[in-house]
Amino acid sequence: MNKNAKLVLGALLLVTVVCGAFLLLGGEDAQRPVARITVNGTIVNEIDLDSELLPKTFTYEGVGGFTNTIVAEKGRIRVESAGCPDQVCVHQGWISDGTVPIVCLPNKLIIEIKGGGESLDAANG
Amino acid sequence: MAAGKKWLKWLPWAILALIAIGIFAQEGYESYRARKSAEKTFFAMDTVMNLTVYGEGAVMSYGDGTPTTGEEMLEMLVDEVERMEQMCSATREDSPVARLNREGSVNVPQDLKRLLEESWAMSVDTEGALDITAYPAVKAWGFTTGEYRMPDEAELSALAEKIDWRKVDMQGATVTLPEGMEIDLGAVAKGALGDELWLKLRLRLFESALLDLGQSSIVAMGSKPNGAPWRIGIQDPEGEGYLGVLELVDMAMGTSGSYQRYFEQDGVRYCHIIDPRTAAPVQNELESVTVVAPSCLLCDGLSTALFVMGLEEGTQFWRDHPELEFDVIFVDKTGAIYMTPGLKDTFTLAEGYEDRKVTVLE
Repeated sequence: MNKNAKLVLGALLLVTVVCGAFLLLGGEDAQRPVARITVNGTIVNEIDLDSELLPKTFTYEGVGGFTNTIVAEKGRIRVESAGCPDQVCVHQGWISDGTVPIVCLPNKLIIEIKGGGESLDAANG
Repeated sequence: MAAGKKWLKWLPWAILALIAIGIFAQEGYESYRARKSAEKTFFAMDTVMNLTVYGEGAVMSYGDGTPTTGEEMLEMLVDEVERMEQMCSATREDSPVARLNREGSVNVPQDLKRLLEESWAMSVDTEGALDITAYPAVKAWGFTTGEYRMPDEAELSALAEKIDWRKVDMQGATVTLPEGMEIDLGAVAKGALGDELWLKLRLRLFESALLDLGQSSIVAMGSKPNGAPWRIGIQDPEGEGYLGVLELVDMAMGTSGSYQRYFEQDGVRYCHIIDPRTAAPVQNELESVTVVAPSCLLCDGLSTALFVMGLEEGTQFWRDHPELEFDVIFVDKTGAIYMTPGLKDTFTLAEGYEDRKVTVLE
C-alpha cells in the first residue's frame, strides 16, 4: 500500500473519529440549563442555572396586574410568592428540568427550563 | 500479482470506511426521523398546553398533492383547541355552555350534544361521582376566581340540592336546565379535545405526537420517532420530583389531584375537586389518581370520578368495569402507590423512590 493511500485512509479515519465524537458529545446534554421566563408569550428573562451568581431573586409583573417573586438556585427555580389569588404557581414548588413548566395563569407567566437534557417527555399534574 | 496483494492490504481499510459511512447514514436517518417538525406552547382552556408533532403526514388525495407538514398540522390542531374552548368554556360569555347556564335552555351544536351524552354515560357508570352540574358549588367555594370562601352548612345543602346530572334535559338539539342549575365541562372537555386532536392526526397519517393539554390530560400518540415509548413522569404530590415513570405507546392519560389547586384554612386543605354528593371539596385518603386508557375522554372523566370515590370505592369500580379497559394509579396521602396489574410492566419507580410502597391491586 503506497504512502498516499495510507495518508488518505488515515485522514478518513481521523475525520470519522472526530465526527463520531461530535455526534456523541454534541447532543442536548452538553448545553447548560437555562430558565426562560415569559409573560404573555414575550421572553422577559433567561437565567443560566449553572451560573455562580445564583441564588438570585427576580420579580415580574404579569398581565393580571400581580407580581411573581421567583428564586433561582443552582440547577433549580421556583415561584417563592405571588400576588395571584390561586397560588398554583407557588404550590408547584421547584422545577429542575424541562419536563413541566411553572405556570401562573392569571399573570400568563411561564417559567420553563431549556437545554437541561430531559429524561422524560412530559409529566402529569 | 504484486498489484493483487496491494488490494488485499487495502481491504480492511475500505471495510472500515464503509462501516463508518454506514453508521453516519444511520445516525443521519435517525435524526431526520426524530426531528420535531413542529411544537407550540400556548394558553388555552384555563391552562397551558404544549403540542409537539413529529415527522410529516401523508399526501392527501385532495389539496395540492404535497404532504401535510408538521407546521400545517399544528395549525389545524390549535384551531381545534380554539373551537373546543369556544364551545365548552363556562366563563366565555358567548359559548353555548355559558348561554345555557344563563338562559336555562338553548340549542347546542352537535359536538357539544355528543359530549354531554358521553358525560351522561360516565355519570351513569360512576353513579354520579362524575357530575357536570357541580358548577354552582365550584363557584361558591371560589375556585373559578381564586377568591376562596367557605359556604356554611345551610348553603352547602342548598348547593347539593342543585347538583344532579339526571336533571339535564336533552331533547334533540335542545338542552334545558332546571332553575338555578349550571353545568361545567372542566372534567371532560380536555379529554374530549385530546381524542379529537388524536383523530385529526391519525386522519392525516401522522404517527408520532405528544399532546400535553395542561398536564391533567396527555395523549402520547404512537411512539417516539425512534420507536421508543413515551416516558411520562408521575408527579410526587408531596415533593418536587417524579415518583415514577409511565412508558406509554399510543395511549392517553388523565390525572386528578388535590395538590396543586387548593386553599388552606384552619389547617385543612380544600382542593378544587368537588364531591357532587356534598357540594364540598373532596376529603379522602387520596392525593392523586391517574387513569391510562385508549380514550382521553375516559381518562379525564374517570380520574375525577375515581378521585371523588376514594381508594376503596375506586378500586371496586375498576373491578366492576373491565369493559372500560382502563388502568389506574392511586397515590394516597402517605405517599403509598396502588396500581392495577395492567401497568406492572409500564410503570417504574423513579430514582430515590425505590423504597416506595407499591401495591398491585387485584
